[in-house]
Amino acid sequence: MKDIFTIILRLTISCLLAGLVMGAAFVLTNNAKKHNAHMHEQKVSQSLLGYSATNPPPATLAMHEVYRYIVTASGSQGMGYLVPSKDGEGKFTFVTLDLDGKFQAQTTVTIAPEKTAEESERTRAIAAVLGVDKALRYADQTIVVTDNGKRTAYLLPGKFPGFKTFISVILALDSKFTIIGLEVMEHEEDPGLGAEIVQKYFKNQFKGKGIDKVKTLEVVKTPLPDDYRQALEGDGKITADQVTAIQAQYQDKDIYALTGATISSRSVTNGVKGMVQKFAYRLGLLDRALIEQHIATPF
Amino acid sequence: MATDKTNLQLVVNGILNENPIFRLVLSMCPAVGISTTVMNGFMLGIAVLFVQVFSSCTISLFKNVIHPRIRIPTYTLTIATWVTVIDMVLAAYLPEAYAKMGIFIKLIVAFAIITMRLEMFACKESVTASFWDGIGMGLGFMAGMMSLGLVRELLGMGTILGYDVLGFKPLLFFVLPFAGFFCVGLMMAFFNYIELAYKRAKRA
Repeated sequence: MKDIFTIILRLTISCLLAGLVMGAAFVLTNNAKKHNAHMHEQKVSQSLLGYSATNPPPATLAMHEVYRYIVTASGSQGMGYLVPSKDGEGKFTFVTLDLDGKFQAQTTVTIAPEKTAEESERTRAIAAVLGVDKALRYADQTIVVTDNGKRTAYLLPGKFPGFKTFISVILALDSKFTIIGLEVMEHEEDPGLGAEIVQKYFKNQFKGKGIDKVKTLEVVKTPLPDDYRQALEGDGKITADQVTAIQAQYQDKDIYALTGATISSRSVTNGVKGMVQKFAYRLGLLDRALIEQHIATPF
Repeated sequence: MATDKTNLQLVVNGILNENPIFRLVLSMCPAVGISTTVMNGFMLGIAVLFVQVFSSCTISLFKNVIHPRIRIPTYTLTIATWVTVIDMVLAAYLPEAYAKMGIFIKLIVAFAIITMRLEMFACKESVTASFWDGIGMGLGFMAGMMSLGLVRELLGMGTILGYDVLGFKPLLFFVLPFAGFFCVGLMMAFFNYIELAYKRAKRA
């Protein structure tokens, strides 16, 4: 009986010690890790837009981040968008729309540029301007890419349920909402089965699908044709012209499921479908509000 | 009870006399599952080396305050702590290497070789001896994994470290998981034969 107490005591102490060591390591490495994740995200965004180290983006290219919030005020809900303002860096306009997309209010928010990326800092700044009676919940962000002031593409970081946990992706759309690329950032699908969603022959199938096709996009359980696979892999065995020709040929086809991972394939397809449709709808409403209220934005 | 071996002998002991894979026959799961290429073996070997050295030193340092009835949970806790720390440090400062090694590192918590070394050696010996024993065991594991990887990569894919040396693929069989058993068995027999031959030559 005496033993049991010393055992409990010692186990507790060892656990606390282990926790301390791990906590210290976490605190020390967390910033570097965040920085890495951020760099990786930027690299992926650039590669999705077709730029790389050898083909850097032009100086006229600019990325504008739009943050979407869910605003709850005394029983009614609405969408809030933090839109960069034309007045310069650090100046934002917070546009509130109701659930039907009708314009409700606009307020000017000033946030220091280095604090914009930090979710908690940003939310605090908006809440301070909005007043205490409104609750804010961060939903997602969109990056509007402009070249010389004209919109060229949208980058949508997003998350949707996969087979096991969430799959987080970055989806790139052009100005007409045609998918120009999909990159899986984080997932926990089964190795060898669902994890194949990161492979080029799966994720590149979404490339070139227009919004009309995306609305009815399905998953088919037929084997991936060989020529299509070659075009998707793009490993240099066939010329770029052939790749474009094959891509065009399969543009109206559905997504070919991964062998043994139909659920993962279906999750990604439905997730992408939802992201594109919702984004197109929301952007339409936001744009209408921006034009009606003459809110100047850089995009 | 202190060991009568010198530091160098401890290291050599881990690599040859008590090689974790071929002589102690421990941690067979990674040896069979992951040793398909030399590079995989090397990556896992490095990770095991670090975890083994850190855990051995920790346990050796605290050997007098660990209650004998809860020593195995304490070992597991120590190993898990170091694995987590190494995992986080690698993810933060070497993201490229982490992208390749990440999945192996988390596996190490369950490796028999590390727990066994803590039980057999580190909980009785001084910190210095445990440190060198950890180095020896880590290197021995790495050597075993790399030699297995060499055989399997060469015979299975015709390459070494990704470079095409044979120009053709002799037997795809060797990269499949179950071929790991054959490889481990054959190489164990080979090393035992060498040992026997060496002893016979010594006697004669």
